Amino acid sequence: MTAAVLPALSNLSTLPAAFQASEVNYVAVMPLFIVFVTALIGVLVEAFMPRERRHRVQVSVAVGGLLAAAVSIFWASSNLGLTMGLSDGSTNRSLFALAIDGPALFLQGAILLMGILGVLTMAERFGGVGPDAFTPSGASTPGSPVETAATRAGALTSEVFPLTVFAIFGMMLFPTTNDLIGMFVALEVLSLPLYILTGLARRRRLLSQEASLKYFLLGAFSSAFFLFGTALLYGYAGSVYFGDLSSAISTAPLAMNGLLLPGAFLVFVGLLFKVGAVPFHAWTPDVYQGAPTPVTGFMAACTKAAAFGAILRLAYVGLDTARWEWSNALVIVALLTMVVGSVLSVTQTDMKRLLAYSSIAHAGFILVGVLAFDRTGVGAVLFYIVAYGFSTIAAFAIVSLVRQNGAEATHLSQWAGLGKAHPVAASAFAFLMLAFAGIPLTSGFVSKFAVFSAAVGSGATGTVLAVVGVLCSAITVFVYARVIVLMFFSEAPAEKVEVVTPSAMTTFSIAIGTLTTLALGVVPASLLDLADRASQFVR
Amino acid sequence: MTSSAEAAGFWILAPIAVIAALGLLFARKAVHAALGVALVMVILGIFYIMQNADFLGVVQVFVYTGAVMMLFLFVLMLVGVDSSDSVVETIKGQRWASLLLVVGLAGLLFFTIGATVVDEKTVQAGIDKVVATNADPGNITGVAELIFGQYVWIFEVTSALLITAALGAMVLAHRERLTPRITQAEWAAKRVRDNRDVAGLPAPGVYARHNAVDTPALLPDGTPSSKSVSRVLVARDQVATTDSLRDVERHMEREIEEGGAK
Amino acid sequence: MSLALTAYGMVGGLPALAPTENPTADFSDTPLWLALVKAVGVFVYLLISTLLVIWFERRVIGRMQQRPGPNRNGPFGLLQTLADGMKAMLKEDITPAKAEKVIYTLAPMITATMAFVAFAIIPLGGTVWMFGHQTPLQVTDVPVAVLLVLAVASVGVYGIILAGWSSGSTYPLLGGLRSTAQVISYEIAMGLSLVAIFLYSGSMSTSAIVSAQSSLWYILPAFFSFAVYLITMVGETNRLPFDLAEGEGELTGGFHTEYSSMRFAMFFLGEYVNMFTVSALATTLFLGGWQAPPFISAINDNMFGGGWWGLLWFTAKLWLFMFIFVWLRGSLPRVRYDQFMRFGWKFLIPITLAWVVAVAFIRGAQLGFLGDSKLTFAGRELSVATVVIVSIVAVIALAAAWIWDDRRAQRAAAEDEAPPEEIDPFEDGYPVPPLPGQRLVEPRPRLAAEPVLSTASSSSAGGSGASTTLKEETHG
Repeated sequence: MTAAVLPALSNLSTLPAAFQASEVNYVAVMPLFIVFVTALIGVLVEAFMPRERRHRVQVSVAVGGLLAAAVSIFWASSNLGLTMGLSDGSTNRSLFALAIDGPALFLQGAILLMGILGVLTMAERFGGVGPDAFTPSGASTPGSPVETAATRAGALTSEVFPLTVFAIFGMMLFPTTNDLIGMFVALEVLSLPLYILTGLARRRRLLSQEASLKYFLLGAFSSAFFLFGTALLYGYAGSVYFGDLSSAISTAPLAMNGLLLPGAFLVFVGLLFKVGAVPFHAWTPDVYQGAPTPVTGFMAACTKAAAFGAILRLAYVGLDTARWEWSNALVIVALLTMVVGSVLSVTQTDMKRLLAYSSIAHAGFILVGVLAFDRTGVGAVLFYIVAYGFSTIAAFAIVSLVRQNGAEATHLSQWAGLGKAHPVAASAFAFLMLAFAGIPLTSGFVSKFAVFSAAVGSGATGTVLAVVGVLCSAITVFVYARVIVLMFFSEAPAEKVEVVTPSAMTTFSIAIGTLTTLALGVVPASLLDLADRASQFVR
Repeated sequence: MTSSAEAAGFWILAPIAVIAALGLLFARKAVHAALGVALVMVILGIFYIMQNADFLGVVQVFVYTGAVMMLFLFVLMLVGVDSSDSVVETIKGQRWASLLLVVGLAGLLFFTIGATVVDEKTVQAGIDKVVATNADPGNITGVAELIFGQYVWIFEVTSALLITAALGAMVLAHRERLTPRITQAEWAAKRVRDNRDVAGLPAPGVYARHNAVDTPALLPDGTPSSKSVSRVLVARDQVATTDSLRDVERHMEREIEEGGAK
Repeated sequence: MSLALTAYGMVGGLPALAPTENPTADFSDTPLWLALVKAVGVFVYLLISTLLVIWFERRVIGRMQQRPGPNRNGPFGLLQTLADGMKAMLKEDITPAKAEKVIYTLAPMITATMAFVAFAIIPLGGTVWMFGHQTPLQVTDVPVAVLLVLAVASVGVYGIILAGWSSGSTYPLLGGLRSTAQVISYEIAMGLSLVAIFLYSGSMSTSAIVSAQSSLWYILPAFFSFAVYLITMVGETNRLPFDLAEGEGELTGGFHTEYSSMRFAMFFLGEYVNMFTVSALATTLFLGGWQAPPFISAINDNMFGGGWWGLLWFTAKLWLFMFIFVWLRGSLPRVRYDQFMRFGWKFLIPITLAWVVAVAFIRGAQLGFLGDSKLTFAGRELSVATVVIVSIVAVIALAAAWIWDDRRAQRAAAEDEAPPEEIDPFEDGYPVPPLPGQRLVEPRPRLAAEPVLSTASSSSAGGSGASTTLKEETHG
């Protein structure tokens, strides 16, 4: 046993002699504060506002708050650095909970903008009193007289808006945290509202509740993995801060590696679960299918952004010095994710499940960018997240419009011939499918090009990953082309499928999502440039 | 570094904790499993106290044993969860595959973590630090200074978690009252108006040997009244039969008649 | 008035924050065997007290109900409890067929032992000489002693819930769930009420809290906490008027319905020891623990305050609380379960939270966190911040009380609507008896609308109506 004192462990001096308050840069954390306060206001509105006005007020509060937070990011961006903590003078370490840097603010902004679109699609009422996608009474047994009575009495579940804002708060925090405990709390803050939202679908409620329970159980399980890993890493480094972790890895004796490797793997398991990477993807199709469709869109776009932000920070700041130890495992996960996601999406017959498997495949592509381990990789990942997120929200919003007898028609056969009856919606959806496939002139092409070129630039492993990625993209092209062919070149089913006319809010989100997809495909330079400039982490 | 008293305590309590934790996995009754966890929590609390973390240890017992596990027991007892879980495999070979993976993972973790050697000096430095803190500002003050100083952000963010949990509980479990509550007087008026069961439902049967709620009352013609027992019991098929009671009654009536004839 | 008095105490009379939160009791001269002796001593103290208090309770309640109570066995019937205990031991010990044997036996043990454990941190007196060692009259003390009591109490609840469950019968199960819910709910309010004490004393250690009360007992500055504690300690021990778990009319005996003999006696013992524990905690936290009462402590430089004298004062204060328990049992009926829970969750917990916040501000002001300026009033130097905060708290409390009282008066006014002066004795075709003092109006015949009969009927009915009124008035 080495007698050498571990530097990180020896300064276990997280116990201050006298009280030392946290240093807070309020401008830098303003976006987070605004979102948190918005959520609290939403809870109060829920408690005190009469039922008739609740929906309108909740939507305005949520959208207004998120917009204000998005605007405040401009000020925050001139206050980069670590904050919310203190520097330990005796050991010259900085113990800060938040890292306000380029990737963090970029992702916060992306999550906020995508979150606004998500809230707008959730707010769709189709002339009813409450949000159409959500059950009026979550506590009633599906199909019971109580549920009917609640519907007739004009009950509504407007709690979904504060819950969504809480989720957005957690998502913004997730890539911003600078320590493992904070990351765990952020993980829970973003997950808990999503578990609840998943179980609140208005139609096919049993499926929705099952999805919610599955998501909750598996999510709790993966959180436990994360926590176990955190404990091991703390045992290894004597600190939960990423900076300490990174420096401990370069100085600690080999005898301690028994804690580092399992710890790193377990923490990654918790994060990879959230992005739906194979083999931690089993929840994705069921949850995407069971959740209310606007929630699925929101979840697919924003959770992925947040979780990849956290993975980036852990991989580039916390565990960067031990990269050679764990990167091979992550390479295997990326390969599996791409292959399984794209191959299984071929066999799907349900539109939401198809998009779920497509999202798994996309998670694999993004992981390829993460594994590039340089600044271009980070920039590519950031760009990919935004491009994919906007397309996804719009795609799920369109899925929520295609109805048969009032219920969503998600089976592929029901989409046959949609292009003839409803050319606008079908064309928009076809365009988004092309973006998912990565056809040029869409954002999907630019983002895939960015991650694969970053991977190729990183070395042999990256090249292999990129080649497999291109092959898998080819497989997915087949899937999306099949959907397009189905919509435009086959006969409509006997029973009529219609595209309901949405309100201005949903129309706005679909339009923004689709136009962003187009714009990022045609003139990607400005966002690529921004992502590239934002790709520097602070330590 | 470790005092002999602490070592003795550890070696006595740790096996108990492990057995109790295994009880969670293998106990047939859910209540026994919950009790196993409660015991683990208590022992963890004792371990913390043995390691000079008084506040943490007591709070561990207070919160986990006293509140969390107690709520578990509550639900278990009220809902009546039992070991009647379905053991049918929906995916073939799943059990063996998962067993293999579990053993593999456990073995991997056991051997890698077990091979770790921790530097004694650093550990001793940490313990000294805790002892010094306990002596000067005190254990609780030390914890408070950390929570409200260095970790204040995480502490505050946890409130988002709690609010979400409360909101979620309301959404998923609280049924808003949509119609005004019907009072006892209104029920009575309704019964009179409908002219059904004007005097209320009949009470369950009261006999010399049986007066439980599952025993129906007998109508004048000797048939059991289905209204006199709770419909929950009827649905569960837990209503006692009255045949024997009726026989006894007939027997007695006959005896009375015979007595009258004499 | 009391508020003003307390505010005065809060503003002026408190010592500064203790330098450390650690116990002031010094155990350095206490060998292990002496600690064991003290533990046995506490055990015996509690056993004898239990024997006495059962007799005491029956006698006092007897007196309150104008009957003698037990007076046959021994002088004044003092040995009655002993006889009852022997009887309980010799009775047949029944285990129901459907019971979970192990847990059924374990449950009473948990209740009884946990009740004793909590007493270990109660200081029964100051430092005394015992077998040649100078040692505090207290088994042990830790920095988190009061929390330890709460933690141990929460483990003790397992005895109740497991007893209810393991009996394999419905009434015990429901009783066990009820009393567990009750104990847990009231433990929250109890814990919150204690926070004020922690804020005032700056410690959770019982010996430090007692020594911090040398100049002023906390019952004055923390009067509200004391009231809440008094209520919750009754709820916590399942005693009347809060003994809903044993509502005989609904649940026969509650969680211990199926228990008999020694196992039942252990529950009985646990309940009484629990009463002693919560009373001892109240004594320690609010009444200055073992310290001599104000006027006696002034005699000859506190000659009756130190050493073994503490045990006397402690016991006296303890029995004061026991008397309150008995008094409550003798005078109050049992409350309804939903009212009880609503009171705990919707009134006690929120209002105690508000009180804790108020105390935090008051303490912050006293310790100079909110400014250092002073003013002199009636010869005493007071901190401006403290005066301001105390006034704000007082104003808020008065305003809340005023609003609440106003609302209550409005509700009461809405409820007892004065009955109308006149009523129709045949309203809607049913006979309606008048209230005392009410006049009967003319019963209008059904066919009044028809012109032919109208004059005749009205004149005859008018006469009878007047006579009825007269009759009613003479009666009333």
